[in-house]
Amino acid sequence: MSFLLILKTRICLKYISPLFNPSTAAFTPLNNVISKLSVSARLLCTKGVSRHAGNNRKEDRQREFNIRERLPFPKSVFAAGTAKRTAEYQKKRAEEEPDFPRKNKRVEPPDHPLTATEWKSLKLTSPNPDRFDVRMMSSMLADGTDINVAKSLLAYVAMDTGTLSYELLLRYLTLCVGSGHHSEVFDMYDIMRSRFRTLDTGASSLFIKGFSRTERWKEALTILENIKRAITPSPRNYGDTIAGAVLHGDGATAWALYAELMEKGLIPNQETWQALFQCGLSHQGHEDGLQSILLHMRDNQIYPEETLAEDIKAWFESLPEQKWIGSWSTADPRGVCRSCQAELESIQLSREEYAQLKDRVMGDVIQGRDVFNKTTPEELESFKNFVKRKPAFDVVIDGLNVANIGIKGNQSQTLLEVVSELERQGLVILLLARKHMQRPSRSWDRHDMSLVQQKAHCFFTDNISEDDPFLLYAALHSGNHCNFVSRDLMRDHKACLPDGATRRLFFKWQRGHQLVLSSYTPGKRVRFQRILSYDTIVQTNGGSWHIPYDENGAERCTYEVPQKWLCLTKAK
Amino acid sequence: KDVPLPQSKAEQTEEKLDLDIWKSVMRFQVPAVEEEKLGGEEEEEEEGGGAAAAPSGPGGGVAGQEEVSPLEATREMVVMWRQAGKLVPETMTDEELGVLAELQTKSSKKKYLKYLAIKEGHKKSHKQKQEKRKAERSERFLEDDRIRPGGLRGEEGEPRNTFLLQFWGRSLDKLLGWRSAQAMAFGQPLVFDMSYEQQMTRRELENTVSQLLEVEGWNRRAPDPFHLHFCNLQPDGGYLRELVKRYGAEAWERLLVTSTEQRHVDLFPRDDLVYLTADSPNVLRTFDNSKVYVVGAMVDRSIQSGLSLANAKRLKLNTARLPLDDFLQWETGAKNLTLDQMIRILLTLKERGRWEEALEYVPKRKHDGFYQEKPQQD
Repeated sequence: MSFLLILKTRICLKYISPLFNPSTAAFTPLNNVISKLSVSARLLCTKGVSRHAGNNRKEDRQREFNIRERLPFPKSVFAAGTAKRTAEYQKKRAEEEPDFPRKNKRVEPPDHPLTATEWKSLKLTSPNPDRFDVRMMSSMLADGTDINVAKSLLAYVAMDTGTLSYELLLRYLTLCVGSGHHSEVFDMYDIMRSRFRTLDTGASSLFIKGFSRTERWKEALTILENIKRAITPSPRNYGDTIAGAVLHGDGATAWALYAELMEKGLIPNQETWQALFQCGLSHQGHEDGLQSILLHMRDNQIYPEETLAEDIKAWFESLPEQKWIGSWSTADPRGVCRSCQAELESIQLSREEYAQLKDRVMGDVIQGRDVFNKTTPEELESFKNFVKRKPAFDVVIDGLNVANIGIKGNQSQTLLEVVSELERQGLVILLLARKHMQRPSRSWDRHDMSLVQQKAHCFFTDNISEDDPFLLYAALHSGNHCNFVSRDLMRDHKACLPDGATRRLFFKWQRGHQLVLSSYTPGKRVRFQRILSYDTIVQTNGGSWHIPYDENGAERCTYEVPQKWLCLTKAK
Repeated sequence: KDVPLPQSKAEQTEEKLDLDIWKSVMRFQVPAVEEEKLGGEEEEEEEGGGAAAAPSGPGGGVAGQEEVSPLEATREMVVMWRQAGKLVPETMTDEELGVLAELQTKSSKKKYLKYLAIKEGHKKSHKQKQEKRKAERSERFLEDDRIRPGGLRGEEGEPRNTFLLQFWGRSLDKLLGWRSAQAMAFGQPLVFDMSYEQQMTRRELENTVSQLLEVEGWNRRAPDPFHLHFCNLQPDGGYLRELVKRYGAEAWERLLVTSTEQRHVDLFPRDDLVYLTADSPNVLRTFDNSKVYVVGAMVDRSIQSGLSLANAKRLKLNTARLPLDDFLQWETGAKNLTLDQMIRILLTLKERGRWEEALEYVPKRKHDGFYQEKPQQD
């Protein structure tokens, strides 16, 4: 499928399709979008509010709660930042414990170069003269002290002991590279190469970083080769070298290194991609390479950060002969880009993908290496027969999860409410539950449970079996239209899947089919969070690109997806 | 704050001149030992550098340095990491280097090196302590000799009137041996299920066997030992290899335990078996002298929950877990205990039958005291 897609996009991009219709993209008032964006951003930004906490903390907290309650629509659990907001909210609710400041044992670096005698006296007066030089250098590093101060320390140590330890030199080197003293880095390179047989990975990485910014950037390649003798270089090593090549206009080397990086199965940094897009900006060519980066992001469900998104936009807009227009956009709930009105890709899985996911879930999540881990063969068999006998379900409910949303001791009633609501919508319901729920008790009312069993098909698993795998299987078995109700994020089941590709398939299916009941108050109508109809992924149809990106400063959990889009369309 | 200010301008200028003096110090200082090697190396590096500097091939650098084997390169890397202040061992054997080179990921290499470094540290501190003790002892003997020349140890010393000759360890061994033999004949069986080899890494297997050694030791010293059964012990498996290695072939043959390839379900009636696992839904309330308890011989450092429960389910055995939550205010850590803790708990239960005493062997860091103790304190 993705192979086909690549073919298609390549063809489309090479021959500008005359059929392409930019619809109303260009005419959408951009201001409108931006103002909407800023409003929603302000509404959602709890961070800004909590920042100026201080004397009137309580008031702030109050205000924050109000903002939260005023949100018109509850955000999907998969929306970027939801987890962080929840965590902050819960942290606020928990009693604020005073955090004890850690014992400050570090030495204070001086603010100007000292003479040998001064250093000596400082060392003698320090509470712990052991490894004084290294600790002093570390705190200089942390404070970003002037390089001359560090030099004076080195001079003192060299005169005092007659030599300098590798560790001390390494920290000094970090300081030099960090503050961009290139000539000093060159000197250090000569010294360290002559003094020590080899360099460790830390020093090598620093030299690569230092050299790649200067005209001696080609030596970074040599250092990279040296690292390879003992260990695989890190993506950052490659990234720095690539950035060096790009900076000095050697696109061919940069791309060769990038190919090597990908070949080794490493995951490139965003900065590396940024460098390559900047390379594309200043030099023509490499269009296929850059587009393959975007497709790589698509295949691996990676989202660019805002700075990279800006570079991508700039590169597209710089392409000669093709007039690309980039704009910052969001998607509306129906899955339409607010900027160009184009429809975004559907969240539904293709038939092959669906079949593959179904097999995988059966094989790896339920059976796994040992059927007995999660269930027993007899139970699995009876469940399979049960599913086969019944008609396809429209919705599968995780009974225990749903029941526990409500108040304690009222579980069966909550369950009944949810089941009734779904029944009112005329859906075929499967309720998955455990056997202990059939036994009448304070939380499981017999009357409620019998009503539930009238309204829905029920399957009761053993008390020690896991019910989630059955839920997943039943939902997948029923077909693409079937949704499931649970608040569980299913991360443990996702982790059972063997490879990244299948996990992403699972996540896509989950986003498209999970109904989440965010809160429940007895007596009120049961409301589910909206399922988005579009997939949040880098996508193209030849004439346009839609790229979701992470905003600066917004922290996203792995099971959340970004909300902002970069919309790129070709003008006529 | 306590930095002395520069007194005069003259001094300051003098100081500025001094700033780069360390460079010349470092440049003119050539490592004495490695001088020859270094020269050769340097030439090579330059050759390699020249080749690689050509834009055509970043791979050119390798050609000049082919002489350095990957193993040697790894060793040098470890040496430099040590100099950079990382937690790596000082010396490594070739075997350890081989293991290191085989490890795939960087993090696994780091972990292995850290493990070796910690092991080395323990060894070193142990040696130091031993030497210190030796020195102290010889000092004490000297002192004794000074106070009473030809004292207790002297041949000429007066023979003392004692009830026993010195009670040697060997006498105790004999006694414990008798007891174990008795247990082999009449004791209550306790099974260690050795069927988890596939689920464990090498390290975990080694840890398991260490714990089994302790288990046997605690059992032997108990007043009323269990009859230990090592079931599912495959003749060519890792468990046996490691056990024989640790005990020594001779001691392993003489060990008073039953080790067998057979499964526990073949040896004992199914109804008598109780599989002890922390994942069990049933709580062990009382220790039953007529049951055969089964403990899974496994250390799980990763996350494979429910393995032993799955095994018990497959064989349709009764399961039980210790009543940890009923007696202890659990704080941190997993509810699965080490094998030696398990046997000490079971031995105490068997002898006294009181949970409070038995659960004394649960590590203190995992809980915050017994539930019963609290009201007494208040």
